[in-house]
Amino acid sequence: MLFRILDNPGRTNPFWRDFDRFNEEITKSILDSQFGNLRSFPPVNIFSKEEEALVSALLPGMEIENIDISIKDNHLTIHGKKKTEDLAEGTEVHRREIFSGDFTRTIELPFRVNQEKVQAKYTNGVLNILLPRREEDKPKKITINFE
Amino acid sequence: MTTLTTENKETQKQVIEKVYSPNVNVFENKENVTIIVEMPGVDQSSINLNVEKDTLTIDGQFQYDASTFGKSVSQEFVGGKFERKFTLGKLVDAENARAKIKNGILELTLPKVEPKKTKIEIQS
Repeated sequence: MLFRILDNPGRTNPFWRDFDRFNEEITKSILDSQFGNLRSFPPVNIFSKEEEALVSALLPGMEIENIDISIKDNHLTIHGKKKTEDLAEGTEVHRREIFSGDFTRTIELPFRVNQEKVQAKYTNGVLNILLPRREEDKPKKITINFE
Repeated sequence: MTTLTTENKETQKQVIEKVYSPNVNVFENKENVTIIVEMPGVDQSSINLNVEKDTLTIDGQFQYDASTFGKSVSQEFVGGKFERKFTLGKLVDAENARAKIKNGILELTLPKVEPKKTKIEIQS
């Protein structure tokens, strides 16, 4: 996960926040070592209308040229490389929680997509992809004529 | 006369805002301490950086309205607030901190200060 969710905002005491964070970190590392990385990056939201779908992904700190979007039928794949900061020699790292490296995520869409007309926008670290439905995939209305 | 309907028109909307604790990287070199915070979807204008005593609080509003586009197929995140607190050592000059945000990444540079050495004379 990109960030942790503090499910209990009532926990104002920083000790408990730290404790939650610590607890989650341990659970995560155990899960990772047992089952490989279960976290799917980036987190996405999918919305759909009759004729188009919208996929939003939280991808902070990317360069546009490092984001690769590909579509095949009703599958959207977001692939990219998240660079680490260039650190000068002698820099001490106190914390490194931000994900870096390669990532790939494939999302199943509710319908097949017209690849030619896909639009993507990247603002403030949020990637929004608008995917129009393929013409032949659109629902067709059939009028019934009474005799 | 007693009114039977005690309907409270101003029903308090108990919308519990999601508070996210963002991921951070913290680096230190000879001159500065750099804090990098992941804040996707946060506009520069909504970011607050506060220093109170020795606690630095970083928060920002993540505006995300999901209801405007059709129906939700799957949802892994919602809008809310990012907030994280740091305890600053005495060797950091928070007043001269510089901050910039790009593509949802906030970079905060805090210059380090040389600790003042005060020599106390012992009076005889």
